[in-house]
Amino acid sequence: MTALLELKDLTRSYGSLAAVDGVDLKVMPGERHALIGPNGAGKSTLFATVAGTLRATGGQVLFSGADVTSLPESERARRGMLRTYQHSSLFLGCSVLDNVALAVQRVHRVAHRFDRAAWRFRRAEAEANRHLDSVGLADRAGAKAAALSHGERRQLEVAMVLAAQPTLVMFDEPTAGMSAAETERFVELIQRLPGNLTLLIVEHDLDVVFRLADRVTVLHLGRVLASGPPERVQGDPQVQQAYLGTARTEDLFIEAGDR
Amino acid sequence: MTAASEVESSYERQDGDVVAGPARRRGPRGPLVAVPVIALLVAAPLVLGPYPVTTMTRILAFAVLVLSVDLLTGITGLPTLGQAAYFGVGGYTAVLTGLHVTSDAAVQVVAALAAGVIAAAATGWVAVRARGIVFLMLTLAIGESVHQVADTWKAVGGSNGLSGMPPISLFGGPPIIAAGFVYWWVLAVAIVVFAAVALVARSPYGRTLRGVRDNEARMRALGYRPTLARFGVFCLAGGVAGAGGALWVSQARFISPGDLGFEIAALALLSVVIGGRGSLWGPCLGAAVVLLVRDNLSAYVGGHGPLVLGCLFVAVVFLVPRGLAGLTAPTGVRRPAGPAGAHRRESAS
Repeated sequence: MTALLELKDLTRSYGSLAAVDGVDLKVMPGERHALIGPNGAGKSTLFATVAGTLRATGGQVLFSGADVTSLPESERARRGMLRTYQHSSLFLGCSVLDNVALAVQRVHRVAHRFDRAAWRFRRAEAEANRHLDSVGLADRAGAKAAALSHGERRQLEVAMVLAAQPTLVMFDEPTAGMSAAETERFVELIQRLPGNLTLLIVEHDLDVVFRLADRVTVLHLGRVLASGPPERVQGDPQVQQAYLGTARTEDLFIEAGDR
Repeated sequence: MTAASEVESSYERQDGDVVAGPARRRGPRGPLVAVPVIALLVAAPLVLGPYPVTTMTRILAFAVLVLSVDLLTGITGLPTLGQAAYFGVGGYTAVLTGLHVTSDAAVQVVAALAAGVIAAAATGWVAVRARGIVFLMLTLAIGESVHQVADTWKAVGGSNGLSGMPPISLFGGPPIIAAGFVYWWVLAVAIVVFAAVALVARSPYGRTLRGVRDNEARMRALGYRPTLARFGVFCLAGGVAGAGGALWVSQARFISPGDLGFEIAALALLSVVIGGRGSLWGPCLGAAVVLLVRDNLSAYVGGHGPLVLGCLFVAVVFLVPRGLAGLTAPTGVRRPAGPAGAHRRESAS
């Protein structure tokens, strides 16, 4: 079985600093893959490089076996690689329905039609409403996105991404800033997603990671420290030293200084 | 079966029946206001003298230009000072058509519209790569360049402009000279253009444009090409401005470089700000206010019309930041204050 997403020696440097340093990673179809690591490990940079928001300075990104390293973000999204943002990134001046409909109408290839009012494209509108309903925002369809609470905004993000018909969804710290109840709702929402949808999740909250993920990759100082099932990664002494709390903090600084 | 279609069908199972389409954007107030307003506009020549009617004709033509600015500035979020160029291209095309080809006003409008689209397509690809202040400056440069060409090119009369255009006619009929008939023609075209722009604003493409305005990075992440969407609307706006130019000359039967200068571009942008960005009828009202202050009120205040306009602009910015259209908006649509408003500014930067 070929990997849905494969990173080969992926590197992203800022000047002489390699924020992502030769990362190799395989994500199989249907996998829930979590990416964790201490602050400054390069998670967000890796994430943005995979999504195409940042250009790689070395290595390759393969999606469904095709090299997408040189493709812009919009082209990767068209192929089914969709990302969310750490800070909700919505269309705040538009209605909640419009936010989701923007994703749907691109997939339906009607995004540049202006011969009819939007509500006359009934298939697209119904699908947008269905996606809103699935994340529990159906009764907010007419509200401005700016009027939503933080948790509702995260729900809307999920609806938008799913409406774009992804094969791989990349979540960038989805539960950051959420209350415990909101996190709980979010985890349930993710668990309800169909099993053949592939997820790559960058997450700080290890509780969430170990509940959702069936594979975990630990990133440390731009490199892959460990990768495997959650139990194995949790037991890995190197990981514990670097991340899970038993490390003496000065070790991190020594290692960082040596580089 | 792809993962995405699986997602879709799992929702299908959840809700069973398909959700009905959303409520129509336009509230029930829409036709209630539009019908009397159009009736009043149609009846105007029956009760007014020729001079006020010609003023209204000019306002309508200018309002079409303002609509094109609103399409860019209000809906797509691109402040422009270049639309007067395409307005002028349309005006010159209409006069040249009238002088050399036909006096049929419909042909002139179509020719001007096409010329506006072509001119916008030829120059817009540079401008649409930028946004914000850079876009503003690029459109200003385009506007000034076109003005310079009109001012120096002998084939279009140079700084004297083009005069002697025969009166317009319609569908092979006799020449239309009476101000009232010209007004009705201009009103009819302006209503058609208004309806067309309103349709664009409410179409999926209009939604795409508002998406580009609100959050371009997110549009890319959803698979859109924002530059392409901006280029499309730039061409459309060029066509609308071109049609406005044809209407402008149908009354005056004359055009000069002054009709496509910086002043017209600035007044058009001012009308959009006064009327309320993103609304369609607001900027049309703004167009009327701006032209009336500049041309008619000016005489009563010792030629200080521009000063009045300046004060009006400052007053609007401080007192009604959402323009005339913002005065009637239901409170629910107003941008919420507090954290949500702060988020908006954050994401806009």
